[in-house]
Amino acid sequence: MRKSGYNFGKLFFLFAGICILVLPIIIFKALSAQPINTVPQVNNKLIPDFDHQAKLLYSTYNNTTPEYMTGTSTSRTLDYYYSLRQYPGSPPVVPHSLVIAKEKEPDCLSCHLQGGFVKNFNRFTPVTPHPQHESCRQCHVKPEEISLFRGIDWISIMPPRLGRSALAGSPPPIAHPLQMRENCVACHVGPGAVTVLRVEHPMRGNCRQCHVPAETQILFTRNSK
Amino acid sequence: MTITRRDFIRAMALKSAAVAATTMFPGISFAGWKPTDQTTGSIVWSKTPCRFCGTGCGLLVGVSNNRAVAVKGDPNCSVNKGLCCVKGYHSIQILYGSDRFTTAYVRKNGKLTATPIEEALDLVASKMKDSIANTGKDSVAIYGSGQWSIPDGYAASKLFKGCIGTNNVEANARLCMASAVTGFLTTFGMDEPMGCYDDIDNADVFVTWGNNMAEMHPVLFSRMLANRKTKTHVKIIDLTTRYTRSSQAADRSLLFHPQTDLALANAICHEIIKNNWVNTEFIEEHVSFHSGKTNIGYGVEDHFKFKDKAETVDFKAYKLFLDDYTPEKVEKISGVPAGDIKYLASLYGDPSKKVTSFWTMGMNQHTRGTWINNLVYNIHLLTGKISTPGNSPFSLTGQPSACGTVREVGTLTHKLPYGVVMKEAARKKAAKIWGVPESNIDPKPTYHTMEMFRALDRGDINFMWIQVTNPMVTIPKLRRYRDGAKKKGRFIVVSEIYPTPTSDIADVILPSALWVEREGFFGNSERRTQHNEQLVPKPGEAMCNTWQLIQVARRLGFEKQFPWNQETYIEDIWNEYTKFHDTPKHRMAPYAVLKQRSGVQWPFVNGKETSRRYHAKYDPACEGNSFDFYGKPDRRAWIWLRPYEPAAESPDTEYPFWLNTGRVLEHWHTGSMTRRIPVLHKAVPEAYVEIHPEDARSLGVVNGSKVKISSRRGSLVMNAMIDGRGNPPKGMVFVPFFDEKYLINEITLDAFCPISKQPDYKKCAVKLEKV
Repeated sequence: MRKSGYNFGKLFFLFAGICILVLPIIIFKALSAQPINTVPQVNNKLIPDFDHQAKLLYSTYNNTTPEYMTGTSTSRTLDYYYSLRQYPGSPPVVPHSLVIAKEKEPDCLSCHLQGGFVKNFNRFTPVTPHPQHESCRQCHVKPEEISLFRGIDWISIMPPRLGRSALAGSPPPIAHPLQMRENCVACHVGPGAVTVLRVEHPMRGNCRQCHVPAETQILFTRNSK
Repeated sequence: MTITRRDFIRAMALKSAAVAATTMFPGISFAGWKPTDQTTGSIVWSKTPCRFCGTGCGLLVGVSNNRAVAVKGDPNCSVNKGLCCVKGYHSIQILYGSDRFTTAYVRKNGKLTATPIEEALDLVASKMKDSIANTGKDSVAIYGSGQWSIPDGYAASKLFKGCIGTNNVEANARLCMASAVTGFLTTFGMDEPMGCYDDIDNADVFVTWGNNMAEMHPVLFSRMLANRKTKTHVKIIDLTTRYTRSSQAADRSLLFHPQTDLALANAICHEIIKNNWVNTEFIEEHVSFHSGKTNIGYGVEDHFKFKDKAETVDFKAYKLFLDDYTPEKVEKISGVPAGDIKYLASLYGDPSKKVTSFWTMGMNQHTRGTWINNLVYNIHLLTGKISTPGNSPFSLTGQPSACGTVREVGTLTHKLPYGVVMKEAARKKAAKIWGVPESNIDPKPTYHTMEMFRALDRGDINFMWIQVTNPMVTIPKLRRYRDGAKKKGRFIVVSEIYPTPTSDIADVILPSALWVEREGFFGNSERRTQHNEQLVPKPGEAMCNTWQLIQVARRLGFEKQFPWNQETYIEDIWNEYTKFHDTPKHRMAPYAVLKQRSGVQWPFVNGKETSRRYHAKYDPACEGNSFDFYGKPDRRAWIWLRPYEPAAESPDTEYPFWLNTGRVLEHWHTGSMTRRIPVLHKAVPEAYVEIHPEDARSLGVVNGSKVKISSRRGSLVMNAMIDGRGNPPKGMVFVPFFDEKYLINEITLDAFCPISKQPDYKKCAVKLEKV
């Protein structure tokens, strides 16, 4: 009797031990899910996502006032940012009413080129990273209806993780493809930016000096000769 | 590696803590770091210069439990004021690659076999002895690097030039800044820039000559951008043969045909004279005019010899010479519209504008490298825009200690730490400081780098010790020189940290201690000497390069010349070395000062650094109260009449494209270090060939297509890159050279500047085929 209780206790401790060991693994696995690889590949071929449009970044940097660059506001959250998108990287919908004069396209760039405070909405305007494309509503549409026509089995991907520094305090690599989003200053600087995406050093103008793309996840190995 | 249960539980606890931390601080990933035990709060930060480029940024390296764990920019360092680039921020990861050499290897029966380092050093010494005894002292050679720490280069020079008595000492800096050196010597009589980085904050106009600073000197480039942002009138003009990230940032980008920068510089001078923008007072007092030989060849044949001869001429002759370089004539040669040339000349000529010119490999890796250096100085001399704040012709350096170790210590065949081997006084001085008979030092230079590898191929050299460089990736026309190095009877010693194509062909590999694993000094582009302490332990049997040299020197019987102990040898070498430079024109800061400060500029006179040379206001070596170009016997700076001459090999019907090669921001040289840093490798995993979109279309090539590049020397198949980060013009392709899988230097040409002997990696003719 005494002996079986001892055995039972032993088993219990073993089980508890396994739980203690395995549980963190499960939690760790669950929480450290990697985002789907956003490296641009076409037909399994790596398409380098280099910043050939750096000119836009440099001119935005040069033409943005220091006051705007160091401006902050706490109104725009990452959840709200993603709520406007079907998946990370898709064009966001227009979340506000549009003033459409007869026979005239709404002039989105009058606000979204420079940014600034808009009284009507009581918040700062986000700035577009690609002002060279002026036909905005080709991609950005205004939802007029909340309910769907038919249901959809749509599953999005995880948004890119933030803060992927390789070392404590080192600059994280660029978390998204650069196509149409080469202009770092537009989204990562100023009061219109999403709070957690705003850089703490907006006055540095050569962003890609420190923040580099991630073209592959495979580490270097020497070729076997 | 075995994991005990205890380790496992500890690792799990740390990982769960990381998970918990992630939930508490969303947006910051803790799981990606591999925390060593109890790091928090116990990081010790120490200063060091960055391991990579010649900018010489100050870093603070955080060390915890004897491992480097983090990097910050050093706010006390005036070079970068706390900012680094992506290489600097991740630099400490180069210490921890999993294939690091921690033991020596010796080739036994054709296979590299792990060997105790003492045994390997015995073998190196005995092989050297054999070579010297059987084939003479000039059959042994050392090939070092601008990434050598100053004591490494000093020990190499003392051993080879002073003790063994051969001038077979060269360094890869020959491939990198030899033309800058000869440019300085021919124009000013003394090497290294007169200006300093503070000029960046003072200039109104920046002209970059064939120089993609946004990627190659990013920290200085950022400083330039910051200056332009705070002052609205500041202009950046980019002169280039390929549209780069720097071109995108520039206010104007002028694309010229390869090699025609020579004509362009002369046309600017022509306009300056024509429009009376010449600073007459300055040129009458401080400038003299000279012409040299023309039609000087390209050095592609073995045993090529050239010696320039200067003839003094006058301003009138110079004006006559420039008649061939009107903007209209030069438009035809260079492809730059005459109006743009006139605009550029007006910026240089405007007396109210302070102008700084920057250049690096575009002008130095050039078969007329010395000439183009002279010609850009001409512009600054005609206008008197030199040696004053913001007015600076500034030759940037590629490597962290190309200036410190190669140019100042003189690890080139003709050089001594002070002066050249040809001068008796210099030999006397060296012999005295080194404690060797004067007759030991050979008054005749032997081989410059290209000729040294040719001599290895021919068999004139049969023992070569290579330290801190990877020539089996970087030597142009590589196939010949690799086959030469592999020939029977050649003995190659390689001091390295990781396996490379160079260590692959070695007979002995000596594991080196790297950067902050040993004490040392670098010297950057602006005459700044930077000391670093040893911050972390050396792995395994890894040994400091200086100590390797000392060990071999003692085995060769030079105990008397190499008496130092392992505790203080770096300090002792510094104290001995600085005896060479003990004049107001070149005095180095004492060891204690260097240890304390984040870099000190030489000349260090009466406890003060010299920010600018050749002007009495800043330079205590000057006589009088204004400019004094004391490097030349006539105390004047020399304007040279240097014509435009074509490249060694230009595109023709058979090989219709120019091939241009270079670096990318993320990778340092051959990538042996940076490719082992995950962030950098992931950013640029492999090399590619940049092609102009129209050329790609006519070849039927899209992004990622396989393309075969061939020259008269070899061919290579690699992926095409169209509209990438850089964009070559029609008729040119560009390939970065960091990738050992695509050895682009098998295709390049070994033509060099006859004066500097620096090869031209930017120009040769190739053809392209779709594969």
